[in-house]
Amino acid sequence: MAYRIQRIPSAPPSVAFAARGMAIVLALVTAGIVLAALGFNPLALGWQVLRTTFGSSYGLEDVGLLVIPLIFTGLAVAVGQKIGAQNIGAEGQFYAGAFAATGVALFVPGPTAVILPLMFVAGAIGGAIWILVPTLARAYADVNELITTLLLNFVATLMVYWVATGPWLDPSGRALATTARLPHEVPEFWGIVHWGLPVAGVVVLLVAALFAFTRWGYEVRIAGSNPQAARYAGMPFRRHLIVVMLLSGAIAGLAGMFEVAGTVHRLQGGISNNFGYLGIMVAVLARSSPIGVLPAAALMAVILNSGIVLQTQGITVSTVLAITGLILFYTAIGDELARYRIVRG
Amino acid sequence: MIAPEPSAPATSRFVPLPGTAPIVQLRGIAKYFPGVTANEDVDLDVMPGEIHALLGENGAGKSTLMNILTGIYQPDAGEIVIDGYPKSFASPVEAIAAGVGMVHQHFKLVKAFTVAENIHLGWSETPKAVSAAVLEKRTADLSRALNLAVDPAARVSELSTGEQQRVEILRVLTRKARVLILDEPTAVLTPAEAHELFRALKDFVARGNAVIFISHKLDEVLEISDRVTVLRGGRKVATEQTADCTETSLARLMVGREIVLSDMRARSPQAAPIGATVMALDDVRAEDGQGRVVLNGLSLTLRAGEILGIAGVAGNGQKELTQVITGMRRATSGRILVDGADFSHAGAADFADFGVGHIPEDRLHSGLAPALSITDNSVIREYDRPPLSNGLGYNGRAATALARQIAEAASVAVPDFGMPVRNLSGGNQQRLVARREMRIASRVLVAAYPSRGLDVGAINMMMRYLVELRDKGVAVLFISEELEELLNLSDRIAVMFHGEIMGVVDTAEADIDTIGLMMGGKRLAADPRKGH
Repeated sequence: MAYRIQRIPSAPPSVAFAARGMAIVLALVTAGIVLAALGFNPLALGWQVLRTTFGSSYGLEDVGLLVIPLIFTGLAVAVGQKIGAQNIGAEGQFYAGAFAATGVALFVPGPTAVILPLMFVAGAIGGAIWILVPTLARAYADVNELITTLLLNFVATLMVYWVATGPWLDPSGRALATTARLPHEVPEFWGIVHWGLPVAGVVVLLVAALFAFTRWGYEVRIAGSNPQAARYAGMPFRRHLIVVMLLSGAIAGLAGMFEVAGTVHRLQGGISNNFGYLGIMVAVLARSSPIGVLPAAALMAVILNSGIVLQTQGITVSTVLAITGLILFYTAIGDELARYRIVRG
Repeated sequence: MIAPEPSAPATSRFVPLPGTAPIVQLRGIAKYFPGVTANEDVDLDVMPGEIHALLGENGAGKSTLMNILTGIYQPDAGEIVIDGYPKSFASPVEAIAAGVGMVHQHFKLVKAFTVAENIHLGWSETPKAVSAAVLEKRTADLSRALNLAVDPAARVSELSTGEQQRVEILRVLTRKARVLILDEPTAVLTPAEAHELFRALKDFVARGNAVIFISHKLDEVLEISDRVTVLRGGRKVATEQTADCTETSLARLMVGREIVLSDMRARSPQAAPIGATVMALDDVRAEDGQGRVVLNGLSLTLRAGEILGIAGVAGNGQKELTQVITGMRRATSGRILVDGADFSHAGAADFADFGVGHIPEDRLHSGLAPALSITDNSVIREYDRPPLSNGLGYNGRAATALARQIAEAASVAVPDFGMPVRNLSGGNQQRLVARREMRIASRVLVAAYPSRGLDVGAINMMMRYLVELRDKGVAVLFISEELEELLNLSDRIAVMFHGEIMGVVDTAEADIDTIGLMMGGKRLAADPRKGH
């Protein structure tokens, strides 16, 4: 009896889930083989990573701090995909949000209870402004947002380097390449983890509810899945595209705001730590589902934290990045393979 | 090498000697797909000199059977015998080498190439390193020898569909095919082109070859074939001499029950009479995305309780017409009046709010979002009103309830409303869209090729939907390529050609030849009694 491979239109959820699990396991196995070839003992390293990450509240707090920007940037990318827009510029919007929030913190006087909400708003607006030009170019001239948002990342990165080492350089002279410590900060609620974490969770729930339980969310779902169908049903595709892309930018801006106001406390070059790009991975792992961003961001945070542990063992940061890349690679393959089944005959 | 035997006059029939082996013989063919028996125990004999029709509903197993005969699939059981010798084809290349070739519904020509280049593409007998002139000369010779007129130097993209089909057939015949399989060849042709095709086919079999003609159009099966084999549910139901068959007997064999393919223009006494003009197009012009004029000064009136049929070969502006009268495309000039109000600048939402339903030509790509759920797709017309929404919200549970209601009305069995709509079969998608649109079509329904891709039973149901709306007093614009359908259903028929209306005729007084001429671009002589 011959066997054939058959493609099915969509994978059953259990198979899709199993494929995800397999992808992560395979990525770790591949990484383990590479590490073994480099002369490390992968099992011992794995045990150490697990113990350091989950064995102490310090490890968990580190993960909790890393997960905050990942939730925001992952959500930003996922939101863009709802309308079929690829926001590769969460990195730039992160910087723009951090920049705008820092500006408010440094130059607007007032009590923290007033200034922190202002910084929140400024962060969102900063991110939205950073995606405004790509948005309008896409909406009115059909310019591919993939390129425009990506290129603006470099502008934002260099802009923040410049202000942090130039006009906004710490006047006290104690820091060489950052602004002064911000006079306002997001309070902590568990060790070093600040209130950005619950806020991120709430934002995720709000966005998820917006898509699931509003008329607007329904229209965006249709328009993002098939613009032709939106046109057929008389839905304003362009308006939805603009609103959703600006929302995506604003959410990425919030990532920058919380990073500078809750974690780093100073604006400096390289503050984004690639969180904007990692957000793309988070969104892919979450299959563009807002709720799915939460576990995906948590997984990514654990991987990043493991990377920090591995670096203390003399493994380079490139190896760690390679492991995250492997997970994405296997996930993409797994998602595709989940849609095949083997049949007899 | 080039010249096959000279053509015999089309009138003389080829009669094989007694005891001649069938040119194609299928014995006990079976093919199973997961959960589906595509073919089981199918026997088929095709004699030299015969046009053999293969008739069946969608999913009856016609295509699978022909894919097995041409080497695209391997049978799970049974054997293929060609000229008395058992054969097995691992690919279409081996099938054509044995003389079995197929012309598919969707042509496989390179549009940017000339006819001569297409004929010679991928052919072992194509001379290496030759000039265009030589290829064209060879093509002209082949064309003459096989009695299929083509212009060797023309680019395929410039040819009409009928001419492209002739190139496709010539391509198969030059490979010395003796068995020509045609998959619904007339679907894309005007009546005149279809007649020309039939003449060429008769000519071909008169030389001792054979044709297998796949169709679900009963009239043309009766007209063209010598024998007919009917498939149902993957099995052979019968092989009959066509002369012994009628449309009714074939329809009964095909669907297993009596189907009335009759005139549906008769109205019941309760039905709404033809009433006032609901929508009027006045000298409407429109352009496509590339700035080409696709509607050229078109005027039409749609009246309540009337079905207005639009005849014409696809691609003569029908698609743009449906877009303009549903608000999806702006007219560049002219006026669209809806209940007397100017809707020339209204959007698709305004038309839908007025009560215009639209069954689009390309249901999967414009009427549905294929990746989204059946629920999402079912409520695309009513998501913005109670009980689904009170303004801002969207009630997913109410949406699923509505989707269930629509699916029931459409008799579509849905195991899971969260499943992507692309998982449904084409026929089920079509029925779902039709039912969805009927709910909002309180004044006008625009139905573009609603029966395309459906089998006789499903077509009948679709036609009944349209009649149901007509009887409720809705104005129906019914676009189709099937003249019979148009004649059975429409009260008036307008014929489109190159973005213009060639004429509007009352169906009661219509004759097929006149409509056929108008489809080919001949304007109806002005009739002083009625304008359009």
